Amino acid sequence: MTHTVLVTGSGGVGKTSLAAALAATAARRGLRTLVVTVDPARRLADALGADTLGNEPEQNPVEGNLWAAMLDASASWRAVAERHAEPDVAARLVNNEFFIAASEHFPASQAYAAADQAATYVEAGVWDLVVVDTPPSGGGIDFFTAPAQMADLVGGRLLRWITGGPLPGRRFFFDRAARPMLRLADTILGADLLERVAEFLLDLRTTYDGVARRGRQIEKVLKASSILVVATADPAPVGEAVRFYRELPALASTPAAVVFNRALPEDWANRNAEGKGAPAALVQNFQRWSAESLRQIDVRGEFSTRYRANVATVPWSSTPPTDVAGLIALLESASGIPWESLGIPQAQ
Amino acid sequence: MIDKRLVIVSGKGGTGKSAFAAGLALLAQRQGLRVLAAELGDGAGLSAHFGTGPLAFHPREVRPGLHAMHMVRSEALLEYLSIQLGVRTIARFGPFARAFDALATTAPGIREIITIGKLVWEVREDKWDIVVADAPPTGQIGSYLRAPQTINELVPSGRVQAQSEQMAAMLADHATTELVLMTLPEELPVAETREALTWLEKEKLAIGTTLVANRVLDELDSKATAAGPIGEAAVLHRRLHDEQRHWLERFPTDFQLPYLFGILTPGEVAAHISDELEARL
Repeated sequence: MTHTVLVTGSGGVGKTSLAAALAATAARRGLRTLVVTVDPARRLADALGADTLGNEPEQNPVEGNLWAAMLDASASWRAVAERHAEPDVAARLVNNEFFIAASEHFPASQAYAAADQAATYVEAGVWDLVVVDTPPSGGGIDFFTAPAQMADLVGGRLLRWITGGPLPGRRFFFDRAARPMLRLADTILGADLLERVAEFLLDLRTTYDGVARRGRQIEKVLKASSILVVATADPAPVGEAVRFYRELPALASTPAAVVFNRALPEDWANRNAEGKGAPAALVQNFQRWSAESLRQIDVRGEFSTRYRANVATVPWSSTPPTDVAGLIALLESASGIPWESLGIPQAQ
Repeated sequence: MIDKRLVIVSGKGGTGKSAFAAGLALLAQRQGLRVLAAELGDGAGLSAHFGTGPLAFHPREVRPGLHAMHMVRSEALLEYLSIQLGVRTIARFGPFARAFDALATTAPGIREIITIGKLVWEVREDKWDIVVADAPPTGQIGSYLRAPQTINELVPSGRVQAQSEQMAAMLADHATTELVLMTLPEELPVAETREALTWLEKEKLAIGTTLVANRVLDELDSKATAAGPIGEAAVLHRRLHDEQRHWLERFPTDFQLPYLFGILTPGEVAAHISDELEARL
C-alpha cells in the first residue's frame, strides 16, 4: 500500500527542498520513496541525482531507495486529448489554437495534469511512499479542485454560456443569421472567431466522460493523502497557510502539520543574551535577529492557537543542500514533524 | 518611477511585489499626487498592505487622494463592453455577455486585454496622476503585456482590434509606462526574473524595466566572532549575506530594498518601503 504526502504552500518558502528532504529521509529510513517535484532549482536537481528530470522516475545513484520525477505540465492537455478523445478528434484538438491557448492559460489545467500524474505514480503501487511537491498555481489550492474544475470545463459549461441554453449541435453556429447576438459578436470580434471557439469546445466535450471518471479516481487519491503545509513567518505565506487550513478539510483532509521553514533559534528571542565582551556591531546585529526570532515565535503561536495546528519548524539553513546527505541534514534539526502520520518511521 | 503615468509591478510570487506597489502608491499619495492602486490578481495583497479589507472593482478612497480597486473580471468585462466597445446595455447582460465571458476564459489574450484595457482607460481619463498596478507574477506578466499583439494576431478585424492598437502604443511608450520586476537575491527568483526579462526583451515589451532586489542584508561591519547567540547570529548573517552577494553579482539590479527585521504587519512593511523609496527616488 502506497502512502502519499502532499506538500503544499506558497512559492518561495522552500517547499520543493523540504519535499525532497522528506523523501530523502524516508528513503534513508528504509522506504522505497518517490519524490515528484515541479521545476526544482539547479542545485536541488543535482542533489536528487537527476540530470534530466522528467515524467519517468529516476533512481538516485547514491540512495537506492530514492526516486525522483519532475512534472511536465505543458504536456498535460495533450495527454488529456490523447487519452480521452477519439484519435481524429485528438489530432484536431492538439493543433487547435484555442486548445493551445487554453492549455497555457487555464491554471487548473496544469494543476490537473500534476494531480493526474501524481495519482498515476501512487496507483502504480511500486513505491512505499510518494511525496508530491504541489505546483503553486492558483495558490496551490487548485491542485485539490482541479479534477472537478476540469470536468466542468470540458463538460460544456463554456458552451452553455455561449448558447445560453442546452448544448447545441454544430448546426447552431452556422445558423447565425437567426442569432442577433452572434452577429453582434462578429462586428466586435471580427468574422468567425466565435465559430472557431465553438468548434474547439464541441471537440473538447467528447473527452468529458473520460475526464470526469479520471477526476473521481484522482480525488480518491488526494483524499487518502497526508498533507503538509509549508510556510515562513512572513505575511503572504502565512495568509496562504491560513487558506489551506480553512479549505482543505472540506476538499481533502486536515493538514497533518504546518511547517515553518527558515526558523531562527527560539533562544535568540531573548534580547539580553549573554555576550560579555562581544563587539558592539555584533550585539547590534544580534538585536535585529532577536526581534525577528520573537516575531516568528508570535506568528507560530498565533497560528497554532487559532487553527489548532500541529506546528513544526525547520531551522534557517544558509547553505542550500547539494546532495542526499545535505537533504537529510535539513530535517535532522527540525522539530515537530509528525513522522508517524506521514507514514515515515521515526529516526532510530 | 513616480513621474510615470502607469507603473506595473510584477515579480516572482513571494518577492514582495504587492508591498512594493502599496509602498509606491503611498509615497505618491504623500507627495500630493492623485493615485489609483489596482490589484490585478486574485490575491488580497494590496488590501492587506492598506489595511482596508477587501477591495471592489469600483475605486475606493483608502487615504486622502489614494484610491484602490480590485480587477474583478466579470465587472471589468461589462465595463469594457459598454465603454470601450460601445455595446448597448441590453446586450451586455444577455447571451452576448455570456459568450464573451466564455471567450475570455478560452481565447488567448481576451482576459488580459480586458485587464490592460481598464488600466489604459484609467490613465487616459486623467482622473489620476499615476496608476500603480499590483500585477500577476512574472510567469504570467508576459501574456498581459503582449495581449494587444495577441489580439491583433487572433482577431484580424472588428472593434476589439482597433482598441488593442491604442493599448499597445501606450504600453510601448517609455515616458508613460514603467515595468517594475521584483526579485530576491536567491537562486530561483533570480532565474525566474532573468527568464522573464529575456522573453520581454525578445518580444520588445521590456518597457523601461526597473529591477528591484528585495530583502537585501547589509554587510556586517565587523569581522569579530563571539560566543552564544550573538556569535551564532553573526555567522548566519554573514553566510546569508555572502549567498545574496553571489546572486546580486550575477544579476545586477537597479536598486535594493533592505531586509526588514521584526516587522509584524503588512501595513508596517508598506510604510517602510514607502520611506525607503522616498529616500531613493
